[in-house]
Amino acid sequence: MIAGRVLNVLRTAAAAAAALVMAGPGAAQGFGQPKAPVFGEVDTGHLVADLVPEKASIAPGETIHVALRQRIDKGWHTYWRNPGDSGEATQIKWTLPAGWRADDIVWPAPDRQPTGPLMNYGYSGEVLLPVALTAPADATPGQTVELTAAVAFLVCEEICVPEDAVLGLRLPVAATPGGPHPQFGKTVAAALAAAPKPAPLTAVFAREGEALKLAVAGAPLAGADFADAYFFPFDGTAIDHAKPQAIERGPQGLTLTLTPGYGFQSPTPPAGLAGVLSLADGRAFEITAQAGALPAEAAGLGPPPARAPPAGGGGELGLIAAVGFALLGGLILNLMPCVFPVLAMKAAGLARHAHERREAQRQGLAFLAGVLATFLALAGLLIALKEAGAVAGWGFQLQSPPVVAALSLLMLAVALNLSGVFEVGTSLQGAGSGLASQRGMAGAFFTGALAVVVAAPCTAPFMAPALGWALTQSAASALVVFLGLGLGFALPFVLVAFVPGLLTRLPRPGPWMVGFRKLLAFPMYGAAAWLAWVLTVQAGDMALARLFAAAVALALAGWMAGVAQRRQAQGGRPVLAGSAAGMLAAGALAAAVWPGYQPASAAAAPASAADIPYEAYSPERLASVRAEGRAVFVNFTAAWCITCKVNERTALSTAEVADAFRRTGTVYLKADWTLKDEIIAAELARHGRAGVPLYLVYGRGSQDGVILPQILTGKTVVEALEAAAAG
Amino acid sequence: MIPLTRRLVLAACAATLTAPAAAVAAPAIGQPAPVFRAVDADGRTRSLDEFKGKTVVLEWHNGGCPYVQKYYNAGAMQSLQRQATADGVVWLTLVSSGPGTQGHLTPAEAKSWKAANKAGSTALLLDPDGKVGKAYDARTTPHMYVVDKTGRLVYMGGIDDKPAADPASLKGAKNYVAAALADLKAGRAVATPVTRPYGCSVKYKG
Repeated sequence: MIAGRVLNVLRTAAAAAAALVMAGPGAAQGFGQPKAPVFGEVDTGHLVADLVPEKASIAPGETIHVALRQRIDKGWHTYWRNPGDSGEATQIKWTLPAGWRADDIVWPAPDRQPTGPLMNYGYSGEVLLPVALTAPADATPGQTVELTAAVAFLVCEEICVPEDAVLGLRLPVAATPGGPHPQFGKTVAAALAAAPKPAPLTAVFAREGEALKLAVAGAPLAGADFADAYFFPFDGTAIDHAKPQAIERGPQGLTLTLTPGYGFQSPTPPAGLAGVLSLADGRAFEITAQAGALPAEAAGLGPPPARAPPAGGGGELGLIAAVGFALLGGLILNLMPCVFPVLAMKAAGLARHAHERREAQRQGLAFLAGVLATFLALAGLLIALKEAGAVAGWGFQLQSPPVVAALSLLMLAVALNLSGVFEVGTSLQGAGSGLASQRGMAGAFFTGALAVVVAAPCTAPFMAPALGWALTQSAASALVVFLGLGLGFALPFVLVAFVPGLLTRLPRPGPWMVGFRKLLAFPMYGAAAWLAWVLTVQAGDMALARLFAAAVALALAGWMAGVAQRRQAQGGRPVLAGSAAGMLAAGALAAAVWPGYQPASAAAAPASAADIPYEAYSPERLASVRAEGRAVFVNFTAAWCITCKVNERTALSTAEVADAFRRTGTVYLKADWTLKDEIIAAELARHGRAGVPLYLVYGRGSQDGVILPQILTGKTVVEALEAAAAG
Repeated sequence: MIPLTRRLVLAACAATLTAPAAAVAAPAIGQPAPVFRAVDADGRTRSLDEFKGKTVVLEWHNGGCPYVQKYYNAGAMQSLQRQATADGVVWLTLVSSGPGTQGHLTPAEAKSWKAANKAGSTALLLDPDGKVGKAYDARTTPHMYVVDKTGRLVYMGGIDDKPAADPASLKGAKNYVAAALADLKAGRAVATPVTRPYGCSVKYKG
């Protein structure tokens, strides 16, 4: 408190000093001689201020810009012309020789600075506030003029401090207009170029119930990216600054839903709505809206896909929490139905070496390396794709039918191998235990890689927030999260390999292993069949015929390879059979992968959960249904997403749920992400997700959807639907 | 599991809370002023109800804010308070700064602040959890409200028309609260019922 009081005294003293040198508009003459200006930088306490010219000289009659530059301390900020809910705009009062003229500040588009329940508009870091300065026609070339600016600004962090300075600038008058100032020319020009400007735009506003709609349309906005578009009003009473501005896109512009401010409670409400429309691409337009009918070309396309998740989504997670989630998610991945077969394969390998500790450890590490390398490779690819502007999400590799086909064949090959149709690397047998061990390590590495590729789409519930968070962060933190995921995933095997007690508890190797291995082939057949089904959903039944043909050819190749291996084991040289098998296998794989698949027509897609009628999701459909005042349930799903399918079978197709849909009149929209879809990916990102499933319920009146858990029960859905219908 | 659940619960709560919050909304001119209870500098609980039949001025306050200091250091706020209370108006000064933020006062500190600054308000009310401030949508210090004898809000906004921290700006400023009180005293409708509040942001609890 005492320190605070001392500060207050200091601040009061500063304010009093400011009064002497600065004085408000109209009262300047009342306070005696102004303080002598400083030609250069002034540290006013929480920022460094100076005057920087666009040109090194000025010609008679010429207009150049001189900017007040503020380099603001980290964490502090100054204010825009409308400071928002609190604060005060920077003021400049010029003292100029006779005949010279300085215009108003050319205000750069501000940043939004939310503080608690309030919203401020202002600047942080470095900001230039340019002012147009005009020399009189009779200025004398060769003379140097002194320009004085008494500047005053409120600088705020948590607390606010009024600061001020009297700044001077010496500017030579030249006979002809000169070039840009060597040091500041570019920065001032850049500030002017970025400043909001009038444009050929039509702006109209209208009261709609409690809301204030502002529509802006015109050629400069055609096809623009409206994510994060924002209207900064010049008048501090026009809108409620702190309320979110809902964005609706149109072919030629956008419509913002604003909350009217104090001004609209006045007996003389504002006749115009003037301000700055700023876009995420850096453009900012000065607009003046008149009351009227909203133009149709500024609406109709729904809200824009957002780049960053909104607060309340996955965006809140910190790095540590995200890595924690990822580790946990990785562990849980081991239990997911889609990875189980691959792990079965690994378990078979481990059982073989259960009692050779060193070998088991080496294999455990190789498995870990395979898992980590593949996670990093997938994450790297995903990040690179996103950087390149493609909309990709976790599990994206299963969105490509050729990849699904190839994986299905790979599963089949592994299954055939486990069944004993052919051996991997038998031809190398007898080449020494060193090589055999290397082979085992390569196998373990490969198993790890395979497990990750197949596991990826099984977004375990724990993984969703972590991955959603990771994909919106810098590449480095994203990679750290993916590493955490990989570690969690590989942990059980590494533990078994390194904790002696665990390893010896595994049964001793023996003839039982042959049977065990053959048994484990069946989960792999199952995986191959599942992927074949995914392919059918993606590319229709013709694709299935093609895949089955390739599968039969591959099986034949496997059998031929087995024959060749057996012959070789008896001392033969089955070059022909071996190479025929290899060629056949390569041919089968090639036929499954190339040429690409035609996407299945919507009609061909199987109608799962057929007892509840649904419509295909689109942002437009969602917007129009919500505009009708109906509650909406949106199911973001994909055929390759097991969790989604389980939810649809167990929770979404029960009689109670179907009944709840009917009773509440809720519209069921399904967003199918089985194939690549930018709009759906963007919508997932908006909710902080990188993968499916995602279940959203929009109530009749509410703005935002409620996110349901990733593991659904009929009860959850019924309750959510009833809540949505109620409000 | 816990954070995920918690977030879902929060999301659900947020969804259910939006409706009532929107219904209460910001206070509106001509509508009944939100009723509140708050503890004063003497530790007594005061409520808006006890001043029924009287005109009430609400002043949002933060002693560390330069805009508030502009009025108090010049004695302008105190003389406004004295004038108003002499006319039978109840003047309540409210502090919505959260603990640990600028302007926060304990009852004891509030008492000594009142004495040291010779404040002329009827009571200094403490709202450390920001409930009253949020009910009135108080954004700045100062942020002024006038409630008429029937309990309806007749003025809300800035203290005057010179949004500056500079003490020189007091000179020639049109004081909106004085004008509103004069209108009420003369039995007129308040001519300027809404203006932009200016000053420091209210330092609500985080």
